[in-house]
Amino acid sequence: MNKSVQQQLEKAPNRTLYLSTIGIILAALLVWSFMGVNITGFDQRGTQIASNIFSGLFSPDLGFLFDFTSGGGVPSLLFETIAIAFLGTIFGSFLAIPISFLMSPSIVSRPVAFVTRLVVIFIRTIPSLVYGLMFIRVTGPGPYAGVLTMSLTSIGMISRLYVDVIENLDRSVLEAMTSMGCNTYEKIRYGVLPQLFSSFLSVTIYRYDMNLRDATILGLVGAGGIGAPLIFAMRAYRWSEVGSILIGLVVLILAVEIFSNKLRERLVNG
Amino acid sequence: MIEFKDVNKTYPNGVTALNNVNLTIDQGEFVAIIGLSGAGKSTLIRCINRMHEINEGTLTVNGVNVGKLRGKQVRRFRRKIGMIFQSFNLVTRTSVINNVLISTVPELSWWRKLLGLFPKAQKVDALEALDKVGILDKAYNRVDQLSGGQQQRVALARTIAQHPDIILADEPVASLDPVTAKVVMDDFKKINKETNMSILINIHHVELALEYADRVIGIRQGEVVYDGKSEDVSQDVLDKIYGSIDNVPKMEDQEEADL
Amino acid sequence: MQHTIYDKIFKPKTYTLSNGKEVKQRASRVPLVLLIVLFITIVSWEVTNVDLSLLRTRGYQFIVILTDLFPPNWNFLSNIWGPLFDTIQMSLLGSIAGAILAIPFALLSSSNIIRNRVLNGFFKLFLSILRTLPTLISALIATFVFGLGTMAGTVAIFLFTLSYIGKLMYEHIENVDMGAFEAHESMGLTKVEAFRYAIVPDVLPTYLSVSLYAFEGNIRYAAILGYVGAGGVGLLLDERLGWRDYPSVGMVLLTLMVVVFVIERISEYFRMKLT
Repeated sequence: MNKSVQQQLEKAPNRTLYLSTIGIILAALLVWSFMGVNITGFDQRGTQIASNIFSGLFSPDLGFLFDFTSGGGVPSLLFETIAIAFLGTIFGSFLAIPISFLMSPSIVSRPVAFVTRLVVIFIRTIPSLVYGLMFIRVTGPGPYAGVLTMSLTSIGMISRLYVDVIENLDRSVLEAMTSMGCNTYEKIRYGVLPQLFSSFLSVTIYRYDMNLRDATILGLVGAGGIGAPLIFAMRAYRWSEVGSILIGLVVLILAVEIFSNKLRERLVNG
Repeated sequence: MIEFKDVNKTYPNGVTALNNVNLTIDQGEFVAIIGLSGAGKSTLIRCINRMHEINEGTLTVNGVNVGKLRGKQVRRFRRKIGMIFQSFNLVTRTSVINNVLISTVPELSWWRKLLGLFPKAQKVDALEALDKVGILDKAYNRVDQLSGGQQQRVALARTIAQHPDIILADEPVASLDPVTAKVVMDDFKKINKETNMSILINIHHVELALEYADRVIGIRQGEVVYDGKSEDVSQDVLDKIYGSIDNVPKMEDQEEADL
Repeated sequence: MQHTIYDKIFKPKTYTLSNGKEVKQRASRVPLVLLIVLFITIVSWEVTNVDLSLLRTRGYQFIVILTDLFPPNWNFLSNIWGPLFDTIQMSLLGSIAGAILAIPFALLSSSNIIRNRVLNGFFKLFLSILRTLPTLISALIATFVFGLGTMAGTVAIFLFTLSYIGKLMYEHIENVDMGAFEAHESMGLTKVEAFRYAIVPDVLPTYLSVSLYAFEGNIRYAAILGYVGAGGVGLLLDERLGWRDYPSVGMVLLTLMVVVFVIERISEYFRMKLT
């Protein structure tokens, strides 16, 4: 063995201690959480309910599932959910535009960006259900409260993603435009906005996808959407109705996800 | 010794890759295989270590009939043959030495295999292989921090640590710049001279092939159309291999190389 | 140029150059898209009874609750610890179990590891369907099956983590460069050995990073699961909001914020190290 090989061998980084420390901490945390969570298996009743839900899924209340006319069926409930998510996303994405500019260190000064960031983190940490309850005091129970909740809760993520877009703007285009003799307005209109528009739109569509999921749970506090009928049906043990709602929900969310992915792909590829 | 006897190979889609190939390559030879893209160079090389199957004929490597090998025998057989790829085929998210050590994995006990713990002797062996290709100082760097030429030398070290009898190289310098390509080719030459390993290289750069190899095999549409000393390769021979004068790659013909 | 129905209705404009060449420009889609968006907005507006004047007249009610949250009721802190630990334990256990089970699911979904299209498709569909179920709804269902308490919350988080990590991982595994795998096979390694040394080192950092990220998010989710009776601080939120004890709610939210912040920083530190 020659000397330089010997030297390199001794230089081998030793991460055993580091890795085993992390391993022990992880194991301790795992044991701790096992102690905390009250592990209960399927008891008689639970198994019964699980099988009821399954049979409900496979024999849904078809009349309820395809009730397009009365306004109380799955389609109209889903439609309400879609509408809540849609308006919430539109409002949220518009509100996020000024906020995201206030959050970008390349647009405003660092302290301003930092403070806005803190405010947004604050907004984000409050769970949407709590907002839902607050807005119900303003508007009374119903889908309107849901729309306001969605608008507020989507601001956090949308503005954060907008900031990434703003920070990654291609500034070389602006240089080229300056060389062509464009003024500031022209540079923003033809150099900045076209870059921002499609990326912002892509973010918004992505958030719509998420809002749709969130809108389904707002019903649990009475802020409209399909959540409330679901919880009522479950509390009343109407399993075939539960099955219909779940099927409708899964199909809708899958369809929107596929559609929004296609749409965003086309936005990116032009 | 590698011996092709009436070897035929047709792909399931009907493309004939090798047509009646007869070749004998002795231990310690440095052979360059040239030809157009799709002529069957890559197939020829990959049949030798059974990465591809042949349809007809017999292929013997050091007295072993390759076609007859089954399961575990194939893997044991492959241990004695090293392979180098155009795109290096390294695990980029781990360190250089870990890549080289992979060549010793089949010899480890199961628990070492699972945890990735290598004995000291093998680490020394891996470092010595890295020393041979001149990148000992990069041993603990992550592969994705290295340049293309350095990555190809890591791949070469990985093969050296395998202590093979034969090295098969499939376009080893095609994605490297001309200067680095020469450095890597020098490494091949050095290994060939020092250890008497047979080296078979598929290569697009005719100049490099003629400069480094002792023997050149020209392939056209799955057939061996030239087999002889590299000094004897003339323009006529090249025309025969590449069809017309237009197809003959000039030096640094990157378009061809990138295919 | 591909012509769609839209092009047949709105004919592309044709420009003739001075040298006689013709260039066709398709009619822009923007007006159509704007029209559709406007239409959906109006319909949604009607469906959800949005009434902006209500915001002006009753908007202060929102502020009322918000201001009532401050100052938080510090004495309530002693009541928070138990449920808070429940929340952390739920998300920890659910995340770890989900992350572990996601490995076989991701492998079975990856077409470059298991070469069986039917199997791949089945597991991909399963993960997608699982992902559509919002955590709160699976928690709701779990409370019916496992009874009220932390078990239901753990199951809900477990299911979400499984689907989330499973999907991200199979997407990553399918994009892994198989070159190293091929090289290892050429060196005489078995498929399992080649997998261990070619695919695992490539995928492992992403897997750990995604798992940490999922855990971060799960803490947030776990905080509201109590609302449907699945244990954790959500129970307190439900209870105190019901009693309109807003200073206590403020305290719960404040603690939650601190915990989420600390966990995010720790997880971010390790995720940075992994990339």
